[in-house]
Amino acid sequence: MDVNSIRPSRRTLLRGAVAGTALLSAPAILRAQTKELVVGGAAGHKPWVESIVVPAFEKKYGAKVIFEGTRSLVNLEKMQKNKGSQYMSVVQMDDPVMILAVKEGLLEPLTPAKVPNLAEITPAAIHMDGMWANYLQPWLGIAHNTKTMPTPPKSWAEMFDPKYKGRIVIPSLQNTEGLPLLFVAGLLSGLGIDAAQADVDAGFKKLASLKPNLLTIYTQQPQAYNLLEQGEASMIGPAMSSYALERKAAGAPIDLVAPAEGVFAMPSGIAVIKGGPQSDLAFAYVNELLGAELQAQLAGPTHSLATNTAVPRPAGLSADLEIHQIDWANVAAKRNDWISRWDREMAL
Amino acid sequence: MTGFRRLDPVSLLVAPAVGYLGLVYGLPLLLLLGHSFVVDGTPSIASFVRFFADPFDWMVIANTLRIALAVTLVSLVIGWPTAIALARAKGAAQAAILVAIILPLSVGVVVKAFAWQIVLRRDGVVSQALVWLHVWDEPQRLLFTETGLVVGAVNVFVPFMILPIYSVLKLVDPRLDEAAATLGAGPFFRFFLVALPLSLPGIVTGVAFVFSMAVSMYVVPSLLIGDRFQTLATLTGRSFLFMRNPQLGSTTAVVLLVLAVAVVVGSAKLSRRFGGAS
Repeated sequence: MDVNSIRPSRRTLLRGAVAGTALLSAPAILRAQTKELVVGGAAGHKPWVESIVVPAFEKKYGAKVIFEGTRSLVNLEKMQKNKGSQYMSVVQMDDPVMILAVKEGLLEPLTPAKVPNLAEITPAAIHMDGMWANYLQPWLGIAHNTKTMPTPPKSWAEMFDPKYKGRIVIPSLQNTEGLPLLFVAGLLSGLGIDAAQADVDAGFKKLASLKPNLLTIYTQQPQAYNLLEQGEASMIGPAMSSYALERKAAGAPIDLVAPAEGVFAMPSGIAVIKGGPQSDLAFAYVNELLGAELQAQLAGPTHSLATNTAVPRPAGLSADLEIHQIDWANVAAKRNDWISRWDREMAL
Repeated sequence: MTGFRRLDPVSLLVAPAVGYLGLVYGLPLLLLLGHSFVVDGTPSIASFVRFFADPFDWMVIANTLRIALAVTLVSLVIGWPTAIALARAKGAAQAAILVAIILPLSVGVVVKAFAWQIVLRRDGVVSQALVWLHVWDEPQRLLFTETGLVVGAVNVFVPFMILPIYSVLKLVDPRLDEAAATLGAGPFFRFFLVALPLSLPGIVTGVAFVFSMAVSMYVVPSLLIGDRFQTLATLTGRSFLFMRNPQLGSTTAVVLLVLAVAVVVGSAKLSRRFGGAS
């Protein structure tokens, strides 16, 4: 074959140039047609966000939602690194991390004018003058394997029972759901819930007696549930309703129980990122998640309490069950010290 | 101009690698090093003083080195004979061994860690086999122990021990061993005076590979032993991601880097001297 034949003629060059220009200009047209809203959240939220929230939102507002599922602290990291040129507009994170984000000036306050549904949710779910709000409250109980442990645990104290040697899995203190274990231990050593949160010394001392029972301390939830479902672990505590009941619904031989001493509320927060693109859509997204319509749809699949007062309490939690609230500002101030002590005292 | 002309053209071949590593590895490394030596905007070694003053941090260093050395040693004990077998095998047998070593590299570390979780649990095959052989009286837990971690990590890293040793051994003339035998050397002498020195360059490379990977592994320990066993790598990750303490994170990263480089370079020098003397 003649090598020269592949040299472009003037005509083909011209044709190429026209096609190239068309290609370059096309994305600009596409951009004008569909707005994109990037929402940062937890990896575990992806299923219900993408199957319930996103379709409803896209239908109503004609905008495309991209959900980036990771961890709260990774979301915070992203917001810090992109300060001044945010690409995410909305963030769904745990409350302790929200406090850090507020301190670093990363959030835009929610106002009743921009988010009318703020008026409909319980006041306890609105934090730091509207910097963020809770849309749902998963609760923390004890998850157990229904085959190896057919009698459900009635009290948090059962996790400390010597007959479960090497059969208990607990979350790391670096996981948000791990923090209440310190308070559980405080409760079990005779303190009230406020005292147990204010001074964790008694809690740490009580936790030392849990060590022989520990199979492991997890940082990755899927691994912990894998151990529970295989029967290698008998109990996980505290276990999040949003994860444990999801696995149960998927057919795993596990169940979640509310111990007599009460359960803990795990508020999931939502906030608008300061300086993020598509500000109007961002507030609209938050408003939708605080609305009764979406929350009623989400409370079931996420196995959580709704914060919108128009949505009834889900089945499974009795009316007289105590739901302990956690003082997240206190947690934020002391968490690193607790983690240091935890590393030293819970080490193998 | 003359200086450029005198430059060996072969050295230009490494330019892409040098450029790439300089940009994505060298530069961030310098930034990291800088971070650990600056406290509140002024140069200081305070973060290292604080680190080494804490007995917990010494335990973390000990954990890191103990596990890395154990993984390297077990990999060597398993990998060296395998490399010899691989170098001496012919045809289909050699292809089969190579595939068995290289194919598992395509399976992700997370998948392997989850598989080990099944193998090492109380009703898993290892525990059952040991009970059946009367080594153990009753099923015991290997999962989330140091032994379990070493077993799982060796599985991940052993190809990096086998392949360098194999690549050296396949260039060695097999008749050298026969010649030594002909000249009256017994198996003991043939091993220490012929086989060992000949495979030493491969062993040094393999040890350096496996040790530096084992000393810095993050995913394997976090899945196979969990939060109760901190190493320098897991402490570094946690400092940056969870405790939001880049000071501590860069300090542990520098300690890890210095330890890893010291052990790798030191062992390479020692074994070369040992190899040269024999």
